[in-house]
Amino acid sequence: MSTLAGIEVGAGPRASARGRAAVIARQVAAPVLVAIALIATYLWVSASPLDSIEQRTLNPGYILARVREHLVLTVVASALVAILAIPAGILVQGVRSRVVRAVVLALGNIGQATPAIGVVILLAIVWQTGFTTALVALVAYSFLPVLRNTMIGLEQVSAGAREAARGMGMSPTQVLRRIELPLASPTILAGLRTSLVFCVGVATVATFINAGGLGDMIVNGLKLQRFPVLLAGAVLVGAIAVLIDWLAAIVEDIVRPRGL
Amino acid sequence: MDTGFSFDRLRVFLNDRWSDIADLTLQHLAVVAISLAIALLVGVGIGVLVWNRPVSRAVAITAAGIAITIPSLALLALLSPVLGLGWGPTVVALVFYSLLPIIRNTVVGLREVPGDVLESARGMGMSRGRVLLTTQLPIAWPVILTGVRVAAQLTIGIAAIAAYVAGPGLGQYIFTGLSSIGSVNALNYALTGTVLIVVLALLMDGAFILITRYSTSRGLRA
Repeated sequence: MSTLAGIEVGAGPRASARGRAAVIARQVAAPVLVAIALIATYLWVSASPLDSIEQRTLNPGYILARVREHLVLTVVASALVAILAIPAGILVQGVRSRVVRAVVLALGNIGQATPAIGVVILLAIVWQTGFTTALVALVAYSFLPVLRNTMIGLEQVSAGAREAARGMGMSPTQVLRRIELPLASPTILAGLRTSLVFCVGVATVATFINAGGLGDMIVNGLKLQRFPVLLAGAVLVGAIAVLIDWLAAIVEDIVRPRGL
Repeated sequence: MDTGFSFDRLRVFLNDRWSDIADLTLQHLAVVAISLAIALLVGVGIGVLVWNRPVSRAVAITAAGIAITIPSLALLALLSPVLGLGWGPTVVALVFYSLLPIIRNTVVGLREVPGDVLESARGMGMSRGRVLLTTQLPIAWPVILTGVRVAAQLTIGIAAIAAYVAGPGLGQYIFTGLSSIGSVNALNYALTGTVLIVVLALLMDGAFILITRYSTSRGLRA
């Protein structure tokens, strides 16, 4: 699952393949599908007789606690990545050294090739298990793709636009804030969206290092052979992933500068 | 007990297990290759069916786009009661996650074939099937392969998680590392598994450059 990030980088073909109709279809389809899946799961689970092990897990208190852990892990990690990786990308891009840029991009490629589960478990072995470790692993893991997208986004800004802004008498900071960042924002946001969806997935494997989240339900259901528990956990985490992607797509649409 | 990292211990570790490691690496490669081959057939098939129909195209790409966001552990766990453990759920999950990049790139590739080229092919008296096989797919092939390449990177990582449902490959070493936390070799296990997966992913990415070069129709090579 290490390269979901790579998919969003080339935003071009994606947009042309999907077109307007597809975008709208997706904006409607995602919440409808999620609602159907959630209702069907709820009906099925509440209709089937639950034994004591299942009752301990399949109650609102337990489920809400796991959902909260999952969301906190995802959102905090993504926020940290946004705060750290976007400025870092701007800085690296600002350094006009080709070598530095090439090294960072190469590191980004290696980071993309690294399996998330490996990062999580290695960190747990060399450091400790628990929530903080999972958070650090998530941030470390999503950092490079977002950094990379920031750099690529800034690089794609046409030299002409930059020169025109300079010619109008803007200072380098103004050019960055008013020209380069807005023009690069679709690519940067695409990177953040990928990292969000990614974090939902990696937060699922956080259960292996005792960091909670909905992975607990999936793994318990699997280990104890309690299918309703497994199903509820898997459907919930799938629903969260699809909805977060859906929300991020809408935000992307709203935030995009008008002219683009 | 010292459980930290030492090169000497890693060397002994690798020396003791090299045939096991080679075996797992090959398994990892095999499961990814098999899944990609299946996904290529299915994905290009779907792409060919929908590329020229706006509604089905939107449905196919939207569905694959939603599917790819589902966390892999959730899908693997859901598949295991039905398909058991091991290769079955792993291959199905890897095919599932490969579909979006392959379908999308097939559609993009086919749509990029110039209209006049299609017209000339038809004008030469070729049937629809022949136009598809001898004109459209060869022209779209580099784009389709790029989709497979993205899918390869994705599935190499997901295959690691599949080790949790007893899937084949190097993920087994990562999970062995986890279950032996606190023992001398925990770090060696997880490190070997992770690093080899990275190496495998990078090598595979490089291999795709060669595959693209030599499988692209001669007239289209840059």
